[in-house]
Amino acid sequence: MKHLKLAFAATALLAVAAPYAAQAQSAYDDQQQLIAQVQADKRAVVLQAMALDDAQMTAFTPLYDAYQADRKKLMERNVNLLNAYASNYDSMTDDAAKGLLKDWLKLQKDEDVLTEKYVKKFDKVLPTTKVLRFVQVENKLNTMLKLPGIQAIPLAK
Amino acid sequence: MKIAQIAVALVAIASPLAVHAQAAPAAQGVKADEQILYKQVMTDKRAVFAQNLQLTDSESRAFWPVYDEYEGKLKKVNDQFLALVDDYAAKFGSITDADATAMLKKKMALEKQRDDLKQVYTKKVAKVLPPIKALRYAQVETRINNMIRNDVYSLIPIAQ
Repeated sequence: MKHLKLAFAATALLAVAAPYAAQAQSAYDDQQQLIAQVQADKRAVVLQAMALDDAQMTAFTPLYDAYQADRKKLMERNVNLLNAYASNYDSMTDDAAKGLLKDWLKLQKDEDVLTEKYVKKFDKVLPTTKVLRFVQVENKLNTMLKLPGIQAIPLAK
Repeated sequence: MKIAQIAVALVAIASPLAVHAQAAPAAQGVKADEQILYKQVMTDKRAVFAQNLQLTDSESRAFWPVYDEYEGKLKKVNDQFLALVDDYAAKFGSITDADATAMLKKKMALEKQRDDLKQVYTKKVAKVLPPIKALRYAQVETRINNMIRNDVYSLIPIAQ
């Protein structure tokens, strides 16, 4: 149930982000609202899936929220990248394609670095079995959230 | 169509592992099955790229050696990942903190190797293909990887 909601929110986020780049302020507000919704749903799923005791929850939650705040910046970059892709889609130049690929690779790298950084932080406050669980839940959710958007975006032409 | 086949093959690869978590299998047979299915997936993946990139002859000559080198290196990482999943499945239900520490360390190291390979080889592809085709390559690679990961993650039970 929650999973379906998350997938829907992600699809909606991407669907809203791409076609309306011109209506900048309105699109920006929609993006912010949808990112907030996706993150709130994801937080609820993660906290439930982690099955932490009270002390673990007290240690985990502030770190997780800091992690989510950092991820939000990456999600915003991803939305901006999608908007740039949508703007260039019908008349893609070599320079635009080069720029988009470069920005996308940098975003991927920053996502990987962020995950690594926080896994080390979580490992300092939780038993490693719980950190392993976090990595599994996070991987599942992120992959699931990205999938509808990735499949919906047409390939460069 | 081909992508759907890849998904089916990957589910088939992951299925013995998921079953493994509940009942002890004939380990050697599972490993042999994994390798056969992995080879099939890689063959299908190659066909998906061929179909989607629509390379000219000269682009083909430049691209495929880079692609094959990437897939060769990726296979070594994926083999280690499958071994790690086997280890996880064998210990599932009685994973100690020491086991979890070793597995987490290995998993993070393998993820980093995969990510690094993707970065390095996408840049190599960008040097031998026109920019729009290089972007298209990165999109197809991302689609396939995400689909494979989604299937594999959905079959591996969460640590207890």
